Amino acid sequence: MKPLNLIALLLFLGGAVWALTRSDRTVREIQNAYYSAISPFLKSGSKMETHARAFLKETRHSKALEAELEVTRQQLGRLRIIASPLHAPEPENDQLRLIRRNPTTWWQTIEIDAGSKQGIRTQFAVLSNDGLVGMIDRIDNGGERSSVLLLSDEKCLVSARVDGSPEVGILSGQRGGFDGVPLLRLKFLSSNAAVRPGQRVFTTGRGGTFQANILLGTIDSVEKGALDSEALVRPSVNFADLGAVFVVLSPDS
Amino acid sequence: MFRYSLITLLLLLAAFVVQQFLPAFTGMHDSRILIVQLVFLCCAVTVGQRTMLLLAFIGGFFWDAQCALGPHGGDLEVYTQQVESLRFGYSILLFGAMGVLMQGIQPLFKQGKWQFSALLSGIAVLLYLTTEYAIINFVRGNFVLSQATVYQIVFTSLLTMLFSPLIFWMLFRIAGACDYSINPEAGRRPRHVH
Repeated sequence: MKPLNLIALLLFLGGAVWALTRSDRTVREIQNAYYSAISPFLKSGSKMETHARAFLKETRHSKALEAELEVTRQQLGRLRIIASPLHAPEPENDQLRLIRRNPTTWWQTIEIDAGSKQGIRTQFAVLSNDGLVGMIDRIDNGGERSSVLLLSDEKCLVSARVDGSPEVGILSGQRGGFDGVPLLRLKFLSSNAAVRPGQRVFTTGRGGTFQANILLGTIDSVEKGALDSEALVRPSVNFADLGAVFVVLSPDS
Repeated sequence: MFRYSLITLLLLLAAFVVQQFLPAFTGMHDSRILIVQLVFLCCAVTVGQRTMLLLAFIGGFFWDAQCALGPHGGDLEVYTQQVESLRFGYSILLFGAMGVLMQGIQPLFKQGKWQFSALLSGIAVLLYLTTEYAIINFVRGNFVLSQATVYQIVFTSLLTMLFSPLIFWMLFRIAGACDYSINPEAGRRPRHVH
């Protein structure tokens, strides 16, 4: 190997080790700088997409009908949330538009058109009319876009309880791709857990991330183990059909 | 040579912007065209080792900046078993490994047989995704490989490979504009030994 190539290889390996040893905070700063640099492109792309969508909408529906439908949808959504037990948190802001779906290969994430300018912070809960969607993972430097880690991702952990039973556990998505509706896994239930398919699963409010009593889904099946049991949960939210979401602005509400 | 290397670097950076607008095909198990990886692979076979390593570092670094997830947060007494993320910077090594693989068939490319490089770019993406998924399994424990994941990896590799002739065409045009030959042995007659 030529000496210059050897030096280049050593520099490459040194650079890789430097990157691998960065702290979470430094990584966030690097990500912020990266997204700031490409934000002009993202903004123009987003504008073009908005125009295209608006045009398509215009051709399909009349504006008045669309507004009426939107109001009805919101009312229905509020009714559903109120219908869940105790104090479900009421979304404190307007509907936020989903602008990108699954931007990465392995992580289940979406991007929404709101950020720190709207008071959003990382780890805030994100809801739809049907229940919990996920949590805010990253906010762009410009404060106009945020990345949401979906409940269907393995890394999104939620402290959950089964309605009508004392069982509590940790709910998360499952690894890898899936066909159709992703099933979530509710772990750490007791070995003789008296849970059955069809029971609803809600957040417990413990853990400091998600508020209590947000609907997560319904039990699909139960796998009994020697030490503990696990249940597969069908999410209440259809992640493939998300159009608009809400962010709960106050984490303590 | 320098001008060509600089343009490949700019092309790689442009690929990051383009990647932002390439959606996942939900009907094909969330498969996607990995334009960043493809541009890197095609460039890697046309440049020297030093430039390839520079491109690998920049490509891997920015790819991780684009994709890295933050910590879960929350109360550690409740979330006792947090799910690990991949370390920032792992893609640099993966890009480097893919680049070395592509440079292995550089002699064939220099003879003008770019079709082999196009095919290898698909194989390299397949290996890249498989290795990435294997690392996720290693870091998080419990090896899980669903049929949908296999389809996702295969379809992504195929979709990405389909666009490699386009990238090679662009590279030939750029090399031509820079008065630099990326396949200097193409068209030469094989030497006969008497």
